[in-house]
Amino acid sequence: MRAYVLKRLLLMIPTFFGISLVVFLVLNLAPGHPGGNQQASDLAADVRSADTQESHRIFREQFGLDRPVLFNTRIWLTQEEVEQALREIAGRDGASPGDRVRAQQRIEDWGAYAVPHLVAAMQAGQDDEIRDLAVYGLRLAARRPLIDPFEPRPSPERRAENQARRAENNRLRGYRYDLDAPEAEKQRVAGEWIAWYAQVADRFRHDPAEKVRIFFLETRFARYWANLARFDFGVSLVTREPVMATLIDKLRYSLSLSITSLLLGYLISLPIGIYSAVDKDSLVDRTTTIGLFMLYSLPSFFVGTLLLFWFSEGSSIEAFRWFPIGGWRSADADQLTSIAQVRDVAWHLVLPVLCMTYGSFAALSRYMRSGLLGVIRSDYVRTARAKGLPESRVILTHAVRNGLLPVITLLAGLLPAILGGSVIVEVIFDVPGMGRWLIESIYQRDYNVIMAIQLLSTLLVLFGILLSDLGYALVDPRIRYR
Amino acid sequence: MTPEPERLSYWALVRQQFAKNRPAVLGLWCGVGLFGLAIGAPLLALDQPFLWSEGQGVSSPLLAALFNRLLFENGVDIFFNLLLVLTPAYAAALWLLRRGGRLTLRATSLLIGLHLALTAAVIPQTWFGAPNPFHHEAPIVDYRVLEAQRIRAGEPVTAVFPPRRIHYRETDPERSVRPPGPQFLLGTDLEGRDVFVRMLYGTRISLTIGVVAVAIYVWIGIVLGALAGYFGGWVDVAISRLIEVMICIPSFFLILTLVALVQDRSIFHVMVIIGVTSWTGVARLVRAEFLQQRELEYALAARALGLPRWRVIFRHLLPNALGPVLVSATFGVASAIITESSLAFLGLGDLSVPSWGETLNAGRLEMKPWLIFAPGLAIFFVVSVFNLVGEGLRDALDPQMRT
Repeated sequence: MRAYVLKRLLLMIPTFFGISLVVFLVLNLAPGHPGGNQQASDLAADVRSADTQESHRIFREQFGLDRPVLFNTRIWLTQEEVEQALREIAGRDGASPGDRVRAQQRIEDWGAYAVPHLVAAMQAGQDDEIRDLAVYGLRLAARRPLIDPFEPRPSPERRAENQARRAENNRLRGYRYDLDAPEAEKQRVAGEWIAWYAQVADRFRHDPAEKVRIFFLETRFARYWANLARFDFGVSLVTREPVMATLIDKLRYSLSLSITSLLLGYLISLPIGIYSAVDKDSLVDRTTTIGLFMLYSLPSFFVGTLLLFWFSEGSSIEAFRWFPIGGWRSADADQLTSIAQVRDVAWHLVLPVLCMTYGSFAALSRYMRSGLLGVIRSDYVRTARAKGLPESRVILTHAVRNGLLPVITLLAGLLPAILGGSVIVEVIFDVPGMGRWLIESIYQRDYNVIMAIQLLSTLLVLFGILLSDLGYALVDPRIRYR
Repeated sequence: MTPEPERLSYWALVRQQFAKNRPAVLGLWCGVGLFGLAIGAPLLALDQPFLWSEGQGVSSPLLAALFNRLLFENGVDIFFNLLLVLTPAYAAALWLLRRGGRLTLRATSLLIGLHLALTAAVIPQTWFGAPNPFHHEAPIVDYRVLEAQRIRAGEPVTAVFPPRRIHYRETDPERSVRPPGPQFLLGTDLEGRDVFVRMLYGTRISLTIGVVAVAIYVWIGIVLGALAGYFGGWVDVAISRLIEVMICIPSFFLILTLVALVQDRSIFHVMVIIGVTSWTGVARLVRAEFLQQRELEYALAARALGLPRWRVIFRHLLPNALGPVLVSATFGVASAIITESSLAFLGLGDLSVPSWGETLNAGRLEMKPWLIFAPGLAIFFVVSVFNLVGEGLRDALDPQMRT
C-alpha cells in the first residue's frame, strides 16, 4: 500500500508538469499584455518617454517577459530578420506606428542574440538610415541584464559582477549620436561600437552544447519551473507581493467552504440515497427523486441569488432576515469573545455552504441510489438474505459497501466542480477566497497569480483523485494496490 | 405480446424504450417547443409590423427587418431568422423525404449542413471582395411612431404588429428597472430593456451555445477517443496522458481564464472555448467503446476486407460506440448552457447578446424579483429539459433497464 501511494505520488509529477505546461501556454500565448491594461496602452503609444520605457523594460525583465515562451530560437536569428526589424522601426515597408513600437520591442527582447547582427548591419554601410538605426538598436540590445538584481543579500562576487555590468551598461549608453550630428561624429561612435564588439565578441558565440541549453532553458517556461521547484510562485504583477503567502491566506477561506460542503454533502446524501434505493418506487423515493432532479438542474448562481434574496439581511421578507449578506465575519468581530467569533464566522458561512452543497448533494444521492440499486439485485445480496440475516444488516453491511464505489469515484469528479463553483459562490457571497481572487487577477492580467491558483487547484484535484482511489481499496477488498 | 420483436433494429428498440418514459418524452416535446420559440421569436416580439399598409399597397417590414444588419447583427440571430423564413421549405423537404422513405440521418445532416452554409453565405459583408448581395443594411424606421402619426393625422393606416412591439436591444434610461406590468410582461432591466423579450431571444443564445459547444467537443472527443482506442500503443498512451492532464484542471477555471483573455470576445468565442476544454468525457467513452469493439468479429471482418482504416473506424466501429456519446452529449448541452450563463453572470459574457446570465447578474445587484426569477427559471427550465431527455436516453440505451 505504501509503495503504491509512493508510486502514485511520483506519477503525479509528470502529470503536474503537463498541466503546468498547458496552463502556461494558454496564458502566455493568449493575446493581451500582463500587468493590467497600463502596459497595453504604453505599447500602443507611438512615442514612449525614456522613463516609462525604462520602467517597462525592468518590468519585463523582472518577470521574464522578454524571453521566448517555450523554446528559444533566438540563437538562430538571421541578419535578414534583424534588418527587417530595423526597417520596421524606420517605418519602411508600410509599417504602422504599432508595428514600429513592436519592432523596437522585438530588438530589445532579442538582446544579446541580436548584437552581432546589429554590428554587421552597422558596418554594411550601404544605407545610412539603417546604420543610424543599428546604432540605436545596439543601445537597446547590448545592455547586459543584471543577475538577480532584487536579491536582498548578494554574495561579494555577484555584487562585483553586477557592478561591472552596470558600469559597462552606463558606458554603452554614451555611445550614441543625434540624427543631425555631423557625419564624422557618427563615424566615431560607430567606431566605438566596433571596438567594443571586438573586445567582447566571444560573449556572443555559443558552442553547440550551450546552444541546446539556451534552446530549452533560456525561456519563460524553464524560468517559471526553476522557481516552481523551489515552491516559489513568484510575486503578483499588480501588488508585487509574493503570491504564495497571499494564496495560503486565501486558501483558508476556500478550503473551509469546500471541505465543509463536501463533508456535508456526503453526510446527508448517503442516507437519502440508501433509503430511496431500498424503498424503490415508494412515494418517498419518487418525491426525493424528483426533488433531487430539480436540485441537480438548478444553476448555483441562481440558488445563491435566491438565498440572498430570501434569507439574508437584505431580504424582502422581514421575518426571514436571518443571515448576513456576505463577507466572512462581521465588522465588529474583533471585539467579540472567541466563542462568539466562531459563531459569527459560522453564521456567515451558512448561506455559501448551502449554495455549494446542494449541487454535490443532489449528484451524490442520485449516484448512491443507482449504485445501490445495481447491487441490491445481485446474487451475494440474495445469499445474505437467504442466510437469514436481518434486512438492516444485508443492506448496511453487505450491499452498501459495494454500492459506495460509484460515490467514491465521484469524489474525483466532484472536486474540480466544487473548486470551479467556488468562484461563483465567493463572488455572490463576497467571500475573500481563491475563486474571487482568480476573477480579480484575470481582470488585471496578473499571470503569476492566475498560474498559481490554477496549479494549486490542480494539485488539490490530483490529491482528490488519489484519495478516491485509496477509498476504493478501503471499501472493496477485491481491489489490491501494488 | 408484440409479434417478432427481435426484428426491430437497435435504434428502433431504443426509440420504443424511450417512448415509454413519459417524463423524457415530455422533455423532448418541451425541447422542440423551445426551438420553436427560438425560431419564432421575431413573430412574438419585434418593433416592426408584419403588415403595413397606407391606403394602397401592402408591405411587410418585419420580413425585411429579419435580415437588416442594423437590427440583427450577430450570427445566431441570422441563423434563426433564416430558419424562420425557410421553415416551410424545410418542412416540405422533410415531409417529401419521409414519404419517399429516405428520411435518413444522412439526409437530415445534409439539410442542417445546407442551412449552415446558407447562414455563412448571408452573414459576411463581402464575398471575396465583392459586396454581398444578401448583406442588407437599411435605416430603421420606427413604425410605432409612424402609425401614431398617421392616426393622429387621420390618414388611413393598417399595421399588424407582433404581440410585443419592442426589440430586445431597445434601451431607455427613463424606464430603468420597472416592475412587471401590461406594457412590460416581466418588467425592465437596468438599461430599460424589456426582460420578457430578452428572455425570448435568450432562448436562441442558450440553445445555440449548448448545441454548438457540444458539437465541437463531441467531434474532438470522438476523433481523439477513436484514435486512442483503435490504434492503442503509443497513440493511446499520448492521448490518455493528455486526457488525464485535462481532467485535473478545474475546467471552469480554465474556461474563465481563456474567455477573459480573448479580446473583443463574441458569443462564438465562448462556444469554442467551452468546446475545446470539455472533450475529455466523450474521448474516454469512445476510447473505452473502441477498445471493446475493435476485438469483435465484425471489426476483424471489416479489416480483413481490406477497407481503409478511416472507413473501419468511422463507418463500422463508430456507429456502435455512439450510444453513450449521445447520452453524454445531451447532458453536455445542459452543462454548457449553465457554463455560459455563469460566465455572463460573472460579467464575462458577450454583452451584445441577450444572455440570461447577464440579466440574473443585474437581478443580483438590484435585488429585484423579476430580474432574478425570470432568467433563473428560464435557465432551470432549459437545463431540466435536457437533463430529462438525457436520463430518458440513458435508460433507453441501458439493456438492463429494458422491459
